[in-house]
Amino acid sequence: MSENLIELNNVRKEFVTAKHYPGFKGAVKGLFSKETITKTAVDDISFAIQKGEMVGYIGSNGAGKSTTIKMMSGILTPTSGTCVVNGLEPYKERKKNAKNIGVVFGQRTQLWWDLPLGETYTVLKEIYEVNKADFEERMTFLNDVLNLEEFMHSTVRTLSLGQRMRADLAAALLHNPKVLYLDEPTIGLDVVVKDKIRQAIREINQKYNTTVILTTHDLNDIEELCQRIIIIDAGKKIYDSTLNQLMQDYGDNCSIVFEWKQTPDARQADMLEKLSGQFAFHKQENGIQVRFHKKECTVAEMIAKIMGIVEVKDVQIKETELTDIVKRIYQGSEGKAI
Amino acid sequence: MRKISRYLSLYRIFVIQYIKTTMQSKVDFFIGLSGFLISQAAGLAFLYLVFEQIPSMQEWSLEQMLFIYGFAQLPRGVDHLLTDNIWMVGWQMVIKGTFDKYILRPMNIFFQIVCEKVQFDALGEILVGLVLVGRAIVNGTVQVTPVKIVFFIVSVTAGTIIYTSVKLILASIAFWLKDSSAIMTTAYEVADFAKYPTEIYAKPIQAVLMTILPFAFVAYIPSTFFLIDANLWKTIGAECLVATVIWIVAYKIFQKGISVYESAGN
Amino acid sequence: MKKYFRIYWPFAANQIKSNFVYKGRFYLFILRKFLGMFIYYYLWMAIYASASTQQLGGFTRSEMILYVFMSYTIADMVMVGISSEIGYDVTDGNVAMSLTKPIDYRTRLVFKSLGVMIYRAVVPTLFIWIGLEIYKVSKLGMLMTNPITMTATLVSILLSFFIYIFFDYCFGMLAFVTTYIFGMNIIKNASLNFLTGRLIPISFFPVVLQKIFSFLPFTAMTYVPVMIYLGKYSGVQVLEQLGKQALWVVVLFLLGSFLWKKIEKRIVILGG
Repeated sequence: MSENLIELNNVRKEFVTAKHYPGFKGAVKGLFSKETITKTAVDDISFAIQKGEMVGYIGSNGAGKSTTIKMMSGILTPTSGTCVVNGLEPYKERKKNAKNIGVVFGQRTQLWWDLPLGETYTVLKEIYEVNKADFEERMTFLNDVLNLEEFMHSTVRTLSLGQRMRADLAAALLHNPKVLYLDEPTIGLDVVVKDKIRQAIREINQKYNTTVILTTHDLNDIEELCQRIIIIDAGKKIYDSTLNQLMQDYGDNCSIVFEWKQTPDARQADMLEKLSGQFAFHKQENGIQVRFHKKECTVAEMIAKIMGIVEVKDVQIKETELTDIVKRIYQGSEGKAI
Repeated sequence: MRKISRYLSLYRIFVIQYIKTTMQSKVDFFIGLSGFLISQAAGLAFLYLVFEQIPSMQEWSLEQMLFIYGFAQLPRGVDHLLTDNIWMVGWQMVIKGTFDKYILRPMNIFFQIVCEKVQFDALGEILVGLVLVGRAIVNGTVQVTPVKIVFFIVSVTAGTIIYTSVKLILASIAFWLKDSSAIMTTAYEVADFAKYPTEIYAKPIQAVLMTILPFAFVAYIPSTFFLIDANLWKTIGAECLVATVIWIVAYKIFQKGISVYESAGN
Repeated sequence: MKKYFRIYWPFAANQIKSNFVYKGRFYLFILRKFLGMFIYYYLWMAIYASASTQQLGGFTRSEMILYVFMSYTIADMVMVGISSEIGYDVTDGNVAMSLTKPIDYRTRLVFKSLGVMIYRAVVPTLFIWIGLEIYKVSKLGMLMTNPITMTATLVSILLSFFIYIFFDYCFGMLAFVTTYIFGMNIIKNASLNFLTGRLIPISFFPVVLQKIFSFLPFTAMTYVPVMIYLGKYSGVQVLEQLGKQALWVVVLFLLGSFLWKKIEKRIVILGG
């Protein structure tokens, strides 16, 4: 077992806000009131992440994802509990920690709005004290995986969202951080750009063994990048396991769609009818859909069975989608809460 | 030493970049500059019109009042020029959560804020200040000696630190209240008191100007050293002491503020 | 007319409400107003203390006290700027958007400012005025302001409000020319502080300047209502001044419409 790079122990974060009352009278009333509301954004979360892991950190809006990331990057101080990143408590040793981490917030750029992109990197090189050889080596690599060259001389404000995201990613990696936090890195991007960003993240992780923590609404990001998934809801951790384990726990339902070459005759239909006693069959236009549990029958066996009866033109295998699983986990946690 | 030279070279990089971006709009620069010049002109015209009616104001002649007025512009102008970006902390950065970016970089946060902007509009204030001080020298309202030149520079520096510290304290309030622009604007109204002799105000206001918002020390009190040879320690010495104390307090509050920063947004 | 009000009144109401929401801002706002007033109050007291004559620029010491507080509160109520909002709308492209809505852009802004004016009339103006009346009677040995003068003053203030807002609307059109409306506003405010007589009564200026000023709309923004309040005008003069104010309202309104037409054309052709 390698060492834990990140450790959160019973971390909790509360926000206190002044209470506002509705209506005009309420507004006047508010002038004299001292009432406050305490909102718990992160509620007793613990987990440990090892060096080189890529972890998907997911949850619905307001579940506390960004708050957790902000505590791990030193922006927020936990109300209670401890958070240790590479041996440091980020909010206590801000400057040291800043050199260990790279952060990309999808909705907000870390770059200087008015500078040409190339200049931005020069400034960052100075800020992070990256030496010339390292700088050049990394720029070449980042250029390779992110194709920055085409807009290197444009001002940041003129970049498209996709370009800006690539630029931001490069900026976060220039000093070769041990941890990379990505908060919604593919939000609002088209499929091609999303793919490019994912590819780049994968290559960076392989080359530098960078630990990546990723929050996203797009579960395809998780499927393609992460080995592990942590799900939180209403500030609480409700699931934490490898993606494979998740699939074994929840993803063992499978469905196969068969398209007939010819409509089955009476004898074939009869044989199918017999099979449908064991498995769930749904008639479709010019074919059927079969749903079954993988423990009962493997995909290969199922295909063999059907093809032994009818001649088939096309077969489509559908594994259960991650989205469905996550939905089920959420519903499960709500059930528990009630 | 290495640290200082690194920061200086970064400051140079930032300022050059900032100049590059602002030079694209020379019109804006002249608008801003004339804005400050016209404000100053209005304040001066006020003095002139008033002194048409009276020979002197509580022992102070028009020429002396003009020196105080001009002298007051210098620390204020230098503070404007160099640290104007602090306003954005109280006004927008905390409430919008854009303050995050400073925390994420391995550099002094105060330095990062300050070096992001140079408010060239303030050259208008500095210009008016220099002209009025120059005028006072030419017409003999103040005498020039090497000692006075040294203390003049010391005083402007200390005054600038007082202005910056007050601004930093008030901007930091935003870490607790989200938006402190209203407080900052209010304090700037108070800073206008500094342009005139502190003695003309009621006792409670004098007390405020000597303690909570020590604007009495940025211009009027030190200017008495140059105008009527008031005691050095009670004027510029006091100014330096106030500047030191308030800077330490301001920086502590600023750091405390960062630790409670809530990073809104998303 | 009623329908008109129904459409636009929410803009005003919302402004009044939002001014109450943040209590910190509310109290500070009041504090700030008082600070500004008191700087000038003390300055003038020092000036009068150094004067050898009873009157300066035609004002006695008592009148000057009233002048300081009245001009400050009136300017505060009347000068509710809309040009910076126009500036934001221009940079954010909201102006072009507003063309697609069945709401008149200027009227909406006027109502928003009306809301702010109503708010400021209560907080803290009304209380200052009551305080001034008490001060007048108890400390200055003057009579209370008579109802006719007060009415005339209020009418004059309302006209001042429209003069300023229609002026500021025209000024805001500069946002289509320069993006630095912040700088432009500094110039405007500094000039207005002077030209409206808020910094120093117009009667202190050389006669030539006073003549020139009487042909400009600026004295009609605060100086006129204050002078009516102080009883510096005779009955006929009051009517004359009110007429002049009304004329400025019309002129600036028409100028604003004219500028908007020109700019609308540009937006339609070039885009926002």
